Amino acid sequence: MIAAALVIWAIVVALAVPVWRREGAHGLKAASQSALDTGRALMIRLPLALLAASFLMQVLPVAKLVSIIGPQSGLTGILLASVIGGLMPGGPMTSFPLALVVLQGGAGVPQITALITGWSVFALHRVLAYEAPIMGWRFVGLRLASSLILPVAAGLGAQALLILIH
Amino acid sequence: MRFKTSDIVFLGLACAGGLACWYQGGWPFVIAGLAEAVGLLLMVMPQLVAGLLMGGLIARLVSRDKVASLLGRQSGIRGLLLASAAGAVTPGGPFTSFPIVHALWVAGADAGALIAYLTAWALIGLNRLIVWELPFMGVEFTLVRVLVSLPLPILAGLIARMLVRSPLLAMKKAPAE
Repeated sequence: MIAAALVIWAIVVALAVPVWRREGAHGLKAASQSALDTGRALMIRLPLALLAASFLMQVLPVAKLVSIIGPQSGLTGILLASVIGGLMPGGPMTSFPLALVVLQGGAGVPQITALITGWSVFALHRVLAYEAPIMGWRFVGLRLASSLILPVAAGLGAQALLILIH
Repeated sequence: MRFKTSDIVFLGLACAGGLACWYQGGWPFVIAGLAEAVGLLLMVMPQLVAGLLMGGLIARLVSRDKVASLLGRQSGIRGLLLASAAGAVTPGGPFTSFPIVHALWVAGADAGALIAYLTAWALIGLNRLIVWELPFMGVEFTLVRVLVSLPLPILAGLIARMLVRSPLLAMKKAPAE
């Protein structure tokens, strides 16, 4: 986590240098101003979103999840897993531990693939906390419509691939 | 700082989540949730600020004409491939990727490229793969999932370019700088 933050800040510096050389302090100030404008939308929303996700994580029924997305659940399981993934709150720090628990509990690999894909592309909390405030609802609608079939495609692809290698 | 409708939705979600916690496990559950949220906030803040700055700096660096020709409506499959590759190597979480997407939008990238970028970042982002998925899910699972996900950003971008022509899903004009 600290390594990731260091890398990201190194990139910020690497971007700031050419801006400063080209436009001087004025360019840096303008860049910070636009960062501030984008960030203002998040100031109330982000803490509340994180709070909601953390609360929901405490009460999610994991055992029930496993029973409906087992390896034999086929396309129905893949569809259900896609929806569940899309509604799963939290970032990778909450969803990967959860996905591992569900996989070890006996869910199927294609179903978990669909679940992670659903979580990755739909991510309700991310839409509400970042995407809608920054990009607007029209963009969100277009992106969600364009991504509807992706989790199912990934799940079916994983199933085919598994049959191929085993 | 203004309170908007979606802030109220979040307030409602947080309250409902808190109530559900309290109902299931009493105050210890509520406090565990609160502690987790504070920890997460402290963890993402430095990266969020960096991401916002990245977006602002990129907007100053890239020229509108260049982005429009590389990632604009006429950029074809090449534009989608380029956007997907950029998305896959973008480090950090939504706090870095969305400010960058916004900057690219302002600079002239079209809906297909923006959606290919975001889908690649979300599905095959190297950063998340290395930091989270490999350690948790293991090599075999990760390989299977990444292999089947490789074509998906292009697919989403192509679908977006088709859908964006319908009046219902047409994009707003990009905000001026």
